[in-house]
Amino acid sequence: MSKHNMSVTLTWLKTAPGLSIVISIAVAVAATIDAGPYLLVNMVVTGGMLALVATGLTLMLGVLNIPMFAHGEYFMIGSLTAYYIFTPISEFILEHPDSWLVTFGPFIAIIGALIGGAIAGVISEKLVFGPLRRRSTDNWVMNSFLLTVGVSVLLINLHQLIFGADFKGIVGYWQGMPISIADVYVSKDRVMSFLISAVIVALFYLFMTYTRTGMAIRAVSQDITGAEIVGIDIEKIVLLTISLACALAAVAGGSLLFMYPSYPTVGLEPLYMAWFVVILSGLGNILGAVAGAFMVALLKVITMEYVGAGWDFVVPSALIMLILIFKPSGIFGSDVRGVLDK
Amino acid sequence: MLLEVKNLNAGYGYLQILRDVSLHIDKGEYVGIVGPNGAGKSTTMKTIAGLISPMSGSVVFNGEDITGLSGSAVAKKGISFVSEEMNLFVNMTVQENLYMGAYTIKEKHLQNERLEFVFELFPRLAERRKQLAGTMSGGERKMLAIGRGMMSNPSLMLVDEPSFGLAPQLTTSVFASLEVLIKTGVTILLVEQNVTKTLAVTGRGYVLENGKIGLEGKSADLAEDSYVKKVFLGV
Amino acid sequence: MDTTTNDLNMNLFDRVLDKLCLTPIGLAGLILLLILPFIPPFNQEYMLRWLIYCGFIAAMSVGFDFTAGFINIVNFGYMAVAGTGGYTSALLVLNAGLSPWIAMLAGGVSSAILGLVIGMISLRLRGIFAACLSWFFGLAVMGLAIKMVWLTRGPLGLRVPRLFETESNFPFYFLIVILVYLTYLICKWVVRSKMGLAFQAIGQNMDAARTSGIDPVFYRVFNFTMSCAIAGVLGGFYAHFYGILTPDMMHTSKTVEVLAVAYIGGRGSLWGGAVIAFPFIFLMEIVRSTLSHLPGLNLVIYALVLILVMIYYPGGFSYFYDTHIRQPKNRALRYFLNGRDA
Repeated sequence: MSKHNMSVTLTWLKTAPGLSIVISIAVAVAATIDAGPYLLVNMVVTGGMLALVATGLTLMLGVLNIPMFAHGEYFMIGSLTAYYIFTPISEFILEHPDSWLVTFGPFIAIIGALIGGAIAGVISEKLVFGPLRRRSTDNWVMNSFLLTVGVSVLLINLHQLIFGADFKGIVGYWQGMPISIADVYVSKDRVMSFLISAVIVALFYLFMTYTRTGMAIRAVSQDITGAEIVGIDIEKIVLLTISLACALAAVAGGSLLFMYPSYPTVGLEPLYMAWFVVILSGLGNILGAVAGAFMVALLKVITMEYVGAGWDFVVPSALIMLILIFKPSGIFGSDVRGVLDK
Repeated sequence: MLLEVKNLNAGYGYLQILRDVSLHIDKGEYVGIVGPNGAGKSTTMKTIAGLISPMSGSVVFNGEDITGLSGSAVAKKGISFVSEEMNLFVNMTVQENLYMGAYTIKEKHLQNERLEFVFELFPRLAERRKQLAGTMSGGERKMLAIGRGMMSNPSLMLVDEPSFGLAPQLTTSVFASLEVLIKTGVTILLVEQNVTKTLAVTGRGYVLENGKIGLEGKSADLAEDSYVKKVFLGV
Repeated sequence: MDTTTNDLNMNLFDRVLDKLCLTPIGLAGLILLLILPFIPPFNQEYMLRWLIYCGFIAAMSVGFDFTAGFINIVNFGYMAVAGTGGYTSALLVLNAGLSPWIAMLAGGVSSAILGLVIGMISLRLRGIFAACLSWFFGLAVMGLAIKMVWLTRGPLGLRVPRLFETESNFPFYFLIVILVYLTYLICKWVVRSKMGLAFQAIGQNMDAARTSGIDPVFYRVFNFTMSCAIAGVLGGFYAHFYGILTPDMMHTSKTVEVLAVAYIGGRGSLWGGAVIAFPFIFLMEIVRSTLSHLPGLNLVIYALVLILVMIYYPGGFSYFYDTHIRQPKNRALRYFLNGRDA
């Protein structure tokens, strides 16, 4: 039995996912030994955030066939919502340092971001994607992509118009001493943001795998006619999917407010990164997106460490291009929808 | 009368395919629609199932007007459609596919009852319950599609070309399973290219040509009809 | 009806117009553009500057539409390609002492090579992934321009000699109008030849094109290379007009601007973007400068127009023109709008 398991593991290791995961872990370990554990911490925090954004993106792409260019803007909406909720809370905390809000205030802000993102998603579906779908689904992928480009420009500049272009940030969510993990001091905020993303991704995965609604979402992504035949209300699922995807991005923006202050184009970097993840991991694959998120995070962190800050666009995008060239369906690519021209 | 279709006109975009199609089915009947390729058989089915909205005409099911309802709304009324392309969820297991078929049933124990029933009918599916639908053979997929169609305990099943692309012995077993279904009280509307077989198993039949109903009557009579013999059976 | 008489009546003027791919109204428009800088208030230098920017976007949108409207691939790194041309040209002038005119052409060649590479490696990819690939390419090129400080001076930008050694914007204006027209003319000639049919066949259905004997490899790569070459020359113009070149020029948001104009003008028309760019960009500039206390408002309008066009009028202005304006009852007017059909 164990022998059988061994051989299964070995064959898995030889596949693209196995190979890339093993290499990433090896690289991560080597870099950690070389440069210090803070690298690993950075990777884990960035990866957790990226996992949230990328799962939303892959959901939009896999279920609705919308290559979302505006996904970063929902991240921005999340951080903006969290900022406006948390600022009064933090003022209140200053005056009442013993209040329960010291511990739970940040959660209120982050949950607010989640809700804000979901609402923004619903509005976008009602005003933008829904009308396009009802009008025509010819050349859908390209048209919806261009539409999201418009949405992105719109949201960025509405932010600038209404809230101004300055940085709207906070000092931190949770006060107190940093937590020491393996001789590295990690601020509470980082630990919490990682925990939050881990919990949400796990919940999301369970939701998609085991619940009736989650299965319905997967059904729609695999065969929309089939889903309609068995009585799944497509409109409802579409609305739910969009709001979920946007909420995921927004919660990432909300929980990272202490690192990324809110400003109009704050979403661009998460957007690029999330696209890297989606291309890397293939479409409509949640676990793949999570693994890919950590790989891209590793790539980014390592590039910053060894090549220098600012190169973290060049190196990952060069690598992603190589992947697109040699393995266009992504490392964890599902066979459902290829990226190749039919 | 379970289903009554009156003067249905439908098509894709500006292309009209069905012209004044009228048909009706009583409860417990086994009705077949035969006709040449491109006559509009599948379009008829899709229009009844709500996947195409008709230009005019009406579809009444169980005394309720369901014209123009969406596919999912039609499914909730108790009509299940087994399409020619099957439309399975290829990255889900057999069992998940079947559970999705029972999407309109909320109670878990009722779903499980249906699952038992389908597994009894198609033991092959029970053997492969953990297999991904996309990795199964054509015949097994057909069984799965029919099985999924039965999961919602429908009062009317629309079965589109169940023998399409199947080997003869598989065709026989698919027809046999429909036979079993009829005995459990389900009403079936069958579309087939295999005219002989269809007219042999169904009670009543319609002949569809160029989007119009050409002939209708008892299947046995249709099989003896000189026109049908000449055009479809080549006798 | 009277096509035979038309053929006989086809005088020299009509034939020349036809060769120049112009209708009488097109010629009138061109003449209007040429006399525009003499008409107040357009004779003011700052207005001319705006108009030159309009012309730049107009020419870019023609080159963009040559790919997007015909082989149905959105080159999302189009501005980065133009920037490559601009930087090549600028560096050649600064370091090799080349004349800006020759350097501009060299910029075109460098962009063409870049286009060749992108075209080759995106060949196998489905539309949206080809767009992503060109986007990542653009990001990487922009990243290089930012980080190769020793060569490009990074975000500080390069000081570039101008094409004409004068403070006046007049010569630049006439040059860009000529460039707009030349871009249009070259693209139109190619599209009119049997190549145009091949492009459209590939854009609509790759497989069908392949089975009917069209080699998609050649046409796709050719198309990509040519449109990138155009972008390169225009990038050179941009550099030698503004006199300062920063990596900002390559930003995705600039590509979005070109894309929006091309789509609002009407995809697949070539002239739509060029015609719409002048009034549209000009109006946006007015909004930007008069309502400067509301930053971002012009881009909000921009995005709204793009969204509305994508949803409700995907054919854009050219489609509107073709269906509603082009066929008036009056014969003289019809001649004016259509020219004599050969």
